[in-house]
Amino acid sequence: MSESVDPGVGEAVTTGPESAVETTEGDVLVEVEDLRTYYDDDSLFGAPVKAVDGVTFDVRRGETLGLVGESGCGKTTLGRTLVRLERPTDGRVLFDDIDVTTLSGEALKEWRRNAQIVFQDPDSSLNDRMTVGEIVREPLDVAGWRSAEERRERVRNLLDTVGLQEEHYFRYPHQFSGGQRQRVGIARALALNPEFIVLDEPVSALDVSVQAKILNLLEDLQDEFGLTYLLIAHDLSVVRHICDRVAVMYLGHLMEIGDTEELFADPANPYTHSLLSAIPEPDPTARKQRITLRGTPPNPRDPPTGCPFTTRCPAKIRPEEFADVGDELWERVEVFREVLRERNRADLSVRQRVKRLLGRRTQYDDVDEVITDLFDDAPVDVPEELRGHIGEAADRVRAGNPGKAVAYTDDAFSSVCDTEKPAYYAVSGSGRESFCHRHGGGYESVDDVVERKRSNDGLDV
Amino acid sequence: MSTTTAAEDAPSARRSEGEDLTLRERIAANPRPALTWGAVFALLVALEFGALASGLIVLTRTAVVGITAVIQVALEALRAPFEALGLEPVVGIVNDVLGVWETSQGRFPVTSEAGDISRDTVGKIAESKRHDAPKTFSLLWVQYQLSDFLFGLQHFTESVPTLLNREVIPNQGFKTGPAGPWKNTFLGLEPAAAWAVRATLVYVYAFLTMFWVFKAYNVYREHYRVADWTPRDDVVDRLRGHRWGQFGFVVVFMFVTMAVFAPTLGPTTAEANIESTYQNEVQYFDSESGQVEEVFVGQANAGAKSKGQGDQNVGPLSYDDYGRYHPFGTDVNGQDLFTFMVAGSRISLFVGLIAIGLSAFVAATLSLLSAYYKGLVDLATVIAADSVIALPQFLILIMVSVAFQGHWLSRVYSGGMLIALVFGLSGWPFLWRAVRGPSFQVAEEEWIDAAKSFGQRVPVTMRKHMLPYILGYLLVYGSMSLGGIIIATSALSFLGNGLGINPPTPEWGRAIAAGRNYVSTQSWHIATIPGVMIVLVVTAFNALGDGIRDAIDPESEGAEGGGAAAGGGG
Repeated sequence: MSESVDPGVGEAVTTGPESAVETTEGDVLVEVEDLRTYYDDDSLFGAPVKAVDGVTFDVRRGETLGLVGESGCGKTTLGRTLVRLERPTDGRVLFDDIDVTTLSGEALKEWRRNAQIVFQDPDSSLNDRMTVGEIVREPLDVAGWRSAEERRERVRNLLDTVGLQEEHYFRYPHQFSGGQRQRVGIARALALNPEFIVLDEPVSALDVSVQAKILNLLEDLQDEFGLTYLLIAHDLSVVRHICDRVAVMYLGHLMEIGDTEELFADPANPYTHSLLSAIPEPDPTARKQRITLRGTPPNPRDPPTGCPFTTRCPAKIRPEEFADVGDELWERVEVFREVLRERNRADLSVRQRVKRLLGRRTQYDDVDEVITDLFDDAPVDVPEELRGHIGEAADRVRAGNPGKAVAYTDDAFSSVCDTEKPAYYAVSGSGRESFCHRHGGGYESVDDVVERKRSNDGLDV
Repeated sequence: MSTTTAAEDAPSARRSEGEDLTLRERIAANPRPALTWGAVFALLVALEFGALASGLIVLTRTAVVGITAVIQVALEALRAPFEALGLEPVVGIVNDVLGVWETSQGRFPVTSEAGDISRDTVGKIAESKRHDAPKTFSLLWVQYQLSDFLFGLQHFTESVPTLLNREVIPNQGFKTGPAGPWKNTFLGLEPAAAWAVRATLVYVYAFLTMFWVFKAYNVYREHYRVADWTPRDDVVDRLRGHRWGQFGFVVVFMFVTMAVFAPTLGPTTAEANIESTYQNEVQYFDSESGQVEEVFVGQANAGAKSKGQGDQNVGPLSYDDYGRYHPFGTDVNGQDLFTFMVAGSRISLFVGLIAIGLSAFVAATLSLLSAYYKGLVDLATVIAADSVIALPQFLILIMVSVAFQGHWLSRVYSGGMLIALVFGLSGWPFLWRAVRGPSFQVAEEEWIDAAKSFGQRVPVTMRKHMLPYILGYLLVYGSMSLGGIIIATSALSFLGNGLGINPPTPEWGRAIAAGRNYVSTQSWHIATIPGVMIVLVVTAFNALGDGIRDAIDPESEGAEGGGAAAGGGG
């Protein structure tokens, strides 16, 4: 990985990692099996937040695995669960074949030396009331590592290793810039000589000029100490620069995981397609067709039953009975469904709830305008069957019950994407996997659908 | 890119630079500033060693009594349900621990008068009640033994001569003739001057000591600290420029000095002038008989009352008929008001500090626990705190006063200990409310996660990574609530009727109560001076709180409403 310093280099590396994969295939450091982390502590009632909802992957020794996804998709929770800052709800994390999810007490403390974390916000990750030396030494003190003098010596070496001065030992975090503070955080993570480090957006709080320096430092450290990284990021160019493999996460699920260059050059999953299309192009004259996703991600308390991406997927499989409906019209149907879901999700005031209970309509129960907008000036005639379903749904909304309307449309328009969780399909020779029904055969390929969508220029939502 | 700076770094080189040395080694390497400081400090301590040591012993004894009292009350409360359930073995164990004894008449709790820490007569009481002393090992036995031992120690330390002493600079003398020279006073000065010299010296000594202790910080900062800057420096520097806070500090410091040096500071002592007036005598020049007479203090007091009408008044800065000087005049019983005030400041400070200390401890512990564990722990503390807040504090005090009538605890410090415990155990939710928010704020910081990620123990995490951030708030709210407790104690004593501090132990509120009918007469001083003092001291505690708040959190400067806004700061 260290040779691919230039982030601009595209396809040159494609053969490299593949052979690397061959050699390190068996050497798995962290094995994650169907890991789930739910948060249910903030309310006594209601469903838990399914931050990580069944994730399976391996981290190979010595590699950098990138973890990307939009805000709130659960990537930070996943990282924190791997270093046992969160207690997983279900599943296993095998670290050198030891299940660390069940460790506790001394065994857990012992294991923690092997897995450390570098935090996102350097302002918050260092205790301002302690000197830099004390901060970096604390893990050593906790582990009871050798004598006090040797610890101080090690701290000085660590400060030197991460590019700080040894004299900084007696300075306070206040006296440092963001980049320097992040170096202190890295030194602390290195103190116990861990094998595995979770980097939780280590550079996103830093200036761009400093970001590169910190990333280079991390790469150097990896070479020097043979570290294995899990790099959590939302900056895709950072991931492309530094990672050997990438995992794409959406709503608690891994959508696609595989070799970085391959994934960037030829994404398999519809979500990866959309994510990559959001990378800004440095060339202002370049025309780029972005894939705009409709709506917002679903509530992680109540994720879709089938594929997590089903509500927004640009390549969603259509139910067979509507196979002959035009693409554009079908897109409008999906938009209609999204509108219903948003309505259903809207927080109502007490007054509006009372109104609904009394059978009166609120401003959220007016769907006629939506239907007019979406279907009355549709380029093609709306088939009778479709119109019937839409009318039925609209009736339920007018009756003040968008929940029933959503249930009705789910029933009427659902496809395999809505009802069944996809499987992971191998999508390339290097072992890249994607979580999408379309790879299952019998369906048009993701590439084709997305390409058509792009060229259609679609309907702006 | 990594700047490789001198990796040869022999540790010995660093040791010679002094970085890796312990403080002791650093002082050994450069002993001059520390020695200079230490010599002066040793001198200051030596001057007052006896007083300082006995003060420390009194504090220790207070702690012993207070802690055993809390344990005992808790155990007695715990015993009740077991008794109700008829679980005799458990009740037996609890009784053994408590030291309950059984006689043919029934079951009696052992009482220990050793708990009475306020007066010197305790030794005598302990002597007379020796046969009542707990014989077998029990909680009260422990208390009794420790208290007894500390008493012996105290008697010894009090016999060590000190510079600022009533005997060294006496002010209680008598005229030898109608205009004749004073006898038995310091250098033959008149009592007012002798007393003024002693009082001034006490304050000079106190301020000098305070300055010298602060000097230690400067010496350390300049000569021995390796870090050239710490966040604490900014706090100190900001406090240096905070006049309002400094005003508060100076007044509070004077108040504390008054409490600490109470026996030395008054023109006479509370014991002689207020508590045992018929065991002490004064000599005075009787102009009628033309010779020096001797009379009981009680009789002299009766002739020196301030009651408003006629010649029954001894105002501030005047002598009474017995040649006794009264800086604040006398009260309705003819007792010296200044002596009453200095002795009263002790109990005010004692009640305030114990109550706030207890509150702060409970508040800090609970807020840290609930901020760290959140969820159910938090819910439990919220419910507990709200339940305590829901009880009217005043009502609890009255109930406890009644319930503990006859219990040895109600006699400790004339009821002061009981009041302090009630204020402490019912007042913590107010402090807790003030620090809960900051605790949650600091619990969200990533350094807490970092500590968890390398396996730091939870209590250490709380102490090292959370407590420093709420300590400032505790100081601020603690010093502000202290004023409230002083007022409340005075208010209770003002009401009297078994509430508050019982006579004869002096308490400011009781002086106000006694003097309130004379405010419009020539004896205005009885109620006014204690009233003004209370206002001054409470204002000063608030000012000090303001100062600390602004010092730890500069962003809150001038902000309305108590409480620094953002956590962190400093």
